[in-house]
Amino acid sequence: MSLNYAYHSAIAGIGATPFTKDSGRTPMDQAVEACLAACEDAGLPPEKVNGMVTYSAEQNPEIEVARNLGIDELTHFSMVHHGGGAACGVVAVACQAIYSGAADYVLCYRAFNERSWHRFGAGVQDRPAGAEASAVSFSWSSPFGLVTPASWVAMFATRYMHEYGATTEDFGRVSVVDRDFAATNPYAHFFQRPITLEDHQNSRWIVEPLRLLDCCQETDGAQALLVTTAERAKDLKQKPAVIASAAQGVAEDQHMMRSYYRDSITGIPEMGLCARQLYQSSGLSADDIQTAIIYDHFTPLVLPQLEEFGFCDWGEAKDFIRDGHLGRDGRLPINTNGGQLGEAYIHGLNGIAEGVRQIRGTSVNQIDNVENVLATAGTAVPTSALILSQPR
Amino acid sequence: MSDEMTDEQKEAFVAKLRREVGTTGTPTTARDPVNQPMIRHWCDAMEDANPLYTDPGEASQGPHGEVVAPPAMLNAWTMIGLVPRVNDPKDPASGVYAMLDEAGYVGVVATNSEHVYNRYLKLGDHLTGTVKLVDVSEEKQTALGIGHFVTTETEYLDQNGEHVGSMFFRILKFRPGTGRTANSGDDTSNERPPRPRPSRNQDTDFFWQGSRVGELRIQKCLNCGYLQHPPGTRCPACGSTDMGYVVASGKGTLYSYVVSHHPRVPSFDYPLNIGLVELEEGVRLVTNITDCDADQLKVGMPLQAWHMQTHEDVSIPVFRPARAPRNPSTLTFDEVSVGDELPLCPIPLTPTLIVSTAIASRDYQDVHHDRDMALKKGSEDIFMNILTSSGLSARYISDWVGPDAVFKNLKIRLGAPNYPYDCMTMSGSVTAKRESDGEDIVEVSFRGQNSRGPHVTGTVELALARK
Repeated sequence: MSLNYAYHSAIAGIGATPFTKDSGRTPMDQAVEACLAACEDAGLPPEKVNGMVTYSAEQNPEIEVARNLGIDELTHFSMVHHGGGAACGVVAVACQAIYSGAADYVLCYRAFNERSWHRFGAGVQDRPAGAEASAVSFSWSSPFGLVTPASWVAMFATRYMHEYGATTEDFGRVSVVDRDFAATNPYAHFFQRPITLEDHQNSRWIVEPLRLLDCCQETDGAQALLVTTAERAKDLKQKPAVIASAAQGVAEDQHMMRSYYRDSITGIPEMGLCARQLYQSSGLSADDIQTAIIYDHFTPLVLPQLEEFGFCDWGEAKDFIRDGHLGRDGRLPINTNGGQLGEAYIHGLNGIAEGVRQIRGTSVNQIDNVENVLATAGTAVPTSALILSQPR
Repeated sequence: MSDEMTDEQKEAFVAKLRREVGTTGTPTTARDPVNQPMIRHWCDAMEDANPLYTDPGEASQGPHGEVVAPPAMLNAWTMIGLVPRVNDPKDPASGVYAMLDEAGYVGVVATNSEHVYNRYLKLGDHLTGTVKLVDVSEEKQTALGIGHFVTTETEYLDQNGEHVGSMFFRILKFRPGTGRTANSGDDTSNERPPRPRPSRNQDTDFFWQGSRVGELRIQKCLNCGYLQHPPGTRCPACGSTDMGYVVASGKGTLYSYVVSHHPRVPSFDYPLNIGLVELEEGVRLVTNITDCDADQLKVGMPLQAWHMQTHEDVSIPVFRPARAPRNPSTLTFDEVSVGDELPLCPIPLTPTLIVSTAIASRDYQDVHHDRDMALKKGSEDIFMNILTSSGLSARYISDWVGPDAVFKNLKIRLGAPNYPYDCMTMSGSVTAKRESDGEDIVEVSFRGQNSRGPHVTGTVELALARK
């Protein structure tokens, strides 16, 4: 495979609602607002959009969003599976649709009242039910009380700590970085509320070894991205964030957040597969990345992502983090919007919007001389990643 | 009944109970000398395989030069047995017990036992015990009920008058149904919804059918032998669709774990130990680690499967710490350090264990073998007798330290009763090392915890060889 669409498309517009804990509105209303805002940001009339890609977890169907936006015809519409793992996947599929000529302007969106309506953190207590494979898969964990995303990730974290000597403080240092960036981002829920490592260590256990401050927020809100060719994007309002490459990955013996049966569970091989594809197709390497959006639903899995993408060796992410490389003056400042711990949890799509701002030079926490930004999607699930680059 | 007594009457009753405090009863000689059959019954019931107790060949090489009785049997030798059923009424302690029975304090539990061993007992030793009534407490409200603690001290002499050991002993005599927790409505377990029910289909039925009959079944390719979990429809190794299963031994180690605190699903107790267990056959599975505190979980710890019934027709495989193998050689004083932790040891509390150990320790109190009588006397079920708590504690220590260690004493205190169908997990650590009267002494603190809390806490002093 060669990802022929490398550098072909660009993100031309981004739009979001305010990120809240109780929107008082429907997710549909927010989805439409975010999509309109992305079109407006790009300077594109929404009726020109002829493609829509969203998550299979999305509960606002593209046909209804299209109807509300006044879009008459869609020539590409699809959904990407596995929750937050779809974040860069929706962009990858948009690239594929555009490269193939199936669509010209594609909206990617995600909207929910994930705090005030259905709380994601509550997990899957109601599953399994039914005899289909998707239900039966929960039988290997739910009867034992392993029912929340936090608990699924915690199982990886304990083993990672055991093998590599990482500590809960190393996880905490990721939270501190996120909250430091959030503190200077007015759009972030935790604007002006940084934390210390001590705050992290004092926060209550959720699922040992994860504390409250290792866990992302639950958010009401919506985020949309408008994708088109890099060429067409030049004629739109904003500087294009060229999609150097975008890739999806499923690896051997993959399970949904519970790939516990592989020889080793300290790495994230599906993310490694994304890394290989991105680097191969874009010609870039870790050295070319100035800042990154590293998916942070739960802090422990930030560490192996740094290893899978080659920012440090296996088991050495803890040292990389202890040396301060993820912070403002580090080698690889991450999650400059505050991440999903600090800004908002929109299933990773808000992070990609921050990547676009870093390319444009408009981030509230702008990093100097950004050429390429890496963004990753949900970990432990079948996943995806992308690299955004300056237009050539 | 004492709740109808005035304060003055109560005072008079306590004074009557205390009339003989400080006096000593008639010496009672054991019905039988120390003998191999009783020792063997004890060792069988306690699952104590220390060869010094039963194997003349091994024992002759040991520190005593011959077979000895397990030291924790000390007061088993002079137990009154099934017939006669009553103690000598002239015995001051027995007199107090009888007075309390008459006044309605018919419930009885032992709370403390402190043995001191001057020397180990050998086959043929014939013990005589003399009981001194040491104390009778004021009336106290306890978790079990309103009652009085009665404390005795017993001195044991052998057939030559040699002082071989002593026992400090305390029991609670209480009025059934007056406990702090009785009928408090505190128990919400009946309202607890069942755990999520495993959903199953033709591909996975074998697993749940297995757990229902106590088998941990792992899918096996009948063509190439490849094992996989969770099961699939086709062998990923050879492509065969000829799938069967193997019954796993249930032995495994903890590969990873989490301790869940939030959010709390009503079907479960929190904090909840969830483990990823690697079976000795090579595959892993998610499960619960039961009978173990969260802070006792360690990656790599040995585990053993058991099957927990969660619905009328569903059982699920879960794991508890595996019993460590008995140490056949004995640790030396130099090999032991303060802070050393003893391996965890689960003791499943089957009715057979509770009854057989009570009988093997010659404790015929009905509450230890007769459920109807146990309920009548304010207990939820039959429960383990204190001699067994001593015996199992001693076995736990001995299995870790090795057969040749010499117990100098064994002091235990009881808390939550050991009822059947629970599990008590022993843990312990080395708390002190010292030289005393020319002996190298190691002190170990231990605890046996069941699902209600600590059943037994205690300490033991062991004399160990230098090298």
